[in-house]
Amino acid sequence: MSTTISNPTQAPQSPRSSAVTKQMLKKSSAARRARSTRIKLWLGTILTLVVVVPIALANLLPIADPNMQDLGARRLAPLVDGHLFGTDQLGRDLLSRVLFGGQTSLMIGVLAVVVSGAIGVILGSIAGFYGKWADVIISRVLEAQMSLPLLMMLLLVVALFGPSIPVITGVIAIAQWPEVARLTRSLVLVEREKPYVDAAKTLGLPKLRILAQHVIPNVFKQASLVILLLLAQAVLLESALSFLGAGPQRPFSTWGRLISDGQDYITTSWWMVTLPGLFIVVLVVGVNLLGDALRDGNLRRSSKKEGK
Amino acid sequence: MLTYLPKRIGQGLLTVFLTVSVVFLLIRMAPGDPAASFAGPLATNEQLAAVREQFGLDKPLLQQYVIFIGQLFTGHLGQSYSFQAPAVQVVMDRLPYTLTLATSSILLAALVAIPLGMWMARRSDTDAELGVNVLTIAGQSMPDFWTGIMLLTGFSVLIPLFPASGFTTWGGLVLPTITVAILQIALVSRMVKREMVTNFNAPYLNIARSRGVSERVLTWKYALGNAGIPVFTALGTRFAAMLNGVVVVEVVFGWPGVGSLIVRALETRDYPLIQATVLITALLAVVVQLLIDLAYPLLDPRVRLGKAASA
Repeated sequence: MSTTISNPTQAPQSPRSSAVTKQMLKKSSAARRARSTRIKLWLGTILTLVVVVPIALANLLPIADPNMQDLGARRLAPLVDGHLFGTDQLGRDLLSRVLFGGQTSLMIGVLAVVVSGAIGVILGSIAGFYGKWADVIISRVLEAQMSLPLLMMLLLVVALFGPSIPVITGVIAIAQWPEVARLTRSLVLVEREKPYVDAAKTLGLPKLRILAQHVIPNVFKQASLVILLLLAQAVLLESALSFLGAGPQRPFSTWGRLISDGQDYITTSWWMVTLPGLFIVVLVVGVNLLGDALRDGNLRRSSKKEGK
Repeated sequence: MLTYLPKRIGQGLLTVFLTVSVVFLLIRMAPGDPAASFAGPLATNEQLAAVREQFGLDKPLLQQYVIFIGQLFTGHLGQSYSFQAPAVQVVMDRLPYTLTLATSSILLAALVAIPLGMWMARRSDTDAELGVNVLTIAGQSMPDFWTGIMLLTGFSVLIPLFPASGFTTWGGLVLPTITVAILQIALVSRMVKREMVTNFNAPYLNIARSRGVSERVLTWKYALGNAGIPVFTALGTRFAAMLNGVVVVEVVFGWPGVGSLIVRALETRDYPLIQATVLITALLAVVVQLLIDLAYPLLDPRVRLGKAASA
């Protein structure tokens, strides 16, 4: 019989000396799961920092100006003439373009998550807490939006309002709020049945105050766990929009644009597509791993608390 | 069942109607003049006015909308500006390509993801599983356009195994399918794993085991049987979403499907074509979703349609 599928919560915890050795405890599935989570957490942190730190320090690093053209040094391979990542079709330093482009991509991602998180938490908690018509309206809008062809609608809206950074941020935020709202709604639905809410009502607190001061803070921590996963999605969405030409326009060179520019040269200059793409992958893998690990950890803690 | 089906169909049609209406409004609010992009940069104002009249764009918005609603019922959505053919026909010509790509991708995804997810569930929290787990996270973290270009560079440019673009031979299907499937495999295998682990930990499985049911039957019949429905739903929903065009991948591979069509239609402000594409893909997505719901009772006899409408 395989031990991998035995119930993890039965790991012995008694302080008395027992026949269970430390070795065996280490092998128990609970311990192994904790180890997986820990590894994911570390790996995620390292990968995220590998990308974020150079981007944050781009202005301080001794790298060339991202827009400085040198037609004599067009499409240099990586590591040639001090260009770590090589140069692009106009002789601009690719590393510098990736780092400065990353500032734009990351900023859009973070802003979009903040906006979608705020909209999602507010509308989701209103739907969950007040119920009735508020719930009906918000849930319908949610459903309708989730059945729309997402990328196409985003392209349309960008075409409508122009590809400026606020518009792209807003578009990504609008694409993402349903996820937060759904999660918050389901959390609030559970929360509002708890005794403390009744107690607050009995004390005569207004509903809005109960919601804002007591319910939302209680669900916020759990709801915020999706933030990292949303950030990963936002970065991917922005790069897809940029790739299709609906991203921030010049002078901003976001990652998707770098890749779409480099696409014309894949036969001769592999690095122009490969390296910016790797930056995206490393960042998004890192953020996703972090989000995954935090969620795993939280699930375990909450199932322990409830005594399962 | 008798009330369920009409209700579901009604809801679906309402969604489709709202979608096309929103799109109708949005494209008309957008800057950019279809007449200008049709008549070319050298057109005079008189020519532009003539083109607008020909397309019916000189009429008030409300009147255009009423005409559009009428068109919805006849199924004739006007001539595509850039193709000079009925817009519905243009979309229908492209649809088989998107259907082919979506079908092959979802099949590949299911074939890989289900065994992979089961393996991950059985080996849960071993080092090997952790490795695969990280790989699946990587799979869902790669931008699909980048994966596509990488595959193109590798297997079409460096090692010329497959054609780089278009769909002239069956070999042209390989790279786009893999590109689309990678993300799906990553997402679905993780879901299979989650469902299987939940079932492995469920009390009924311990009871079955204590009664001497073999591990193989436990895994394949009990756990997989119960994990089947959510997984099937996920696969179906992903398939329905792909029918809206696998936009980015189609653009990368020059795939003559609906996704690359919509990008071109948006660029040329081809109103009838945009509307026809949205209408047809939205209808298809709704139909697929309905078929999935109808298939529930076949997979799980406990499900009664209408009562489990929340699913």
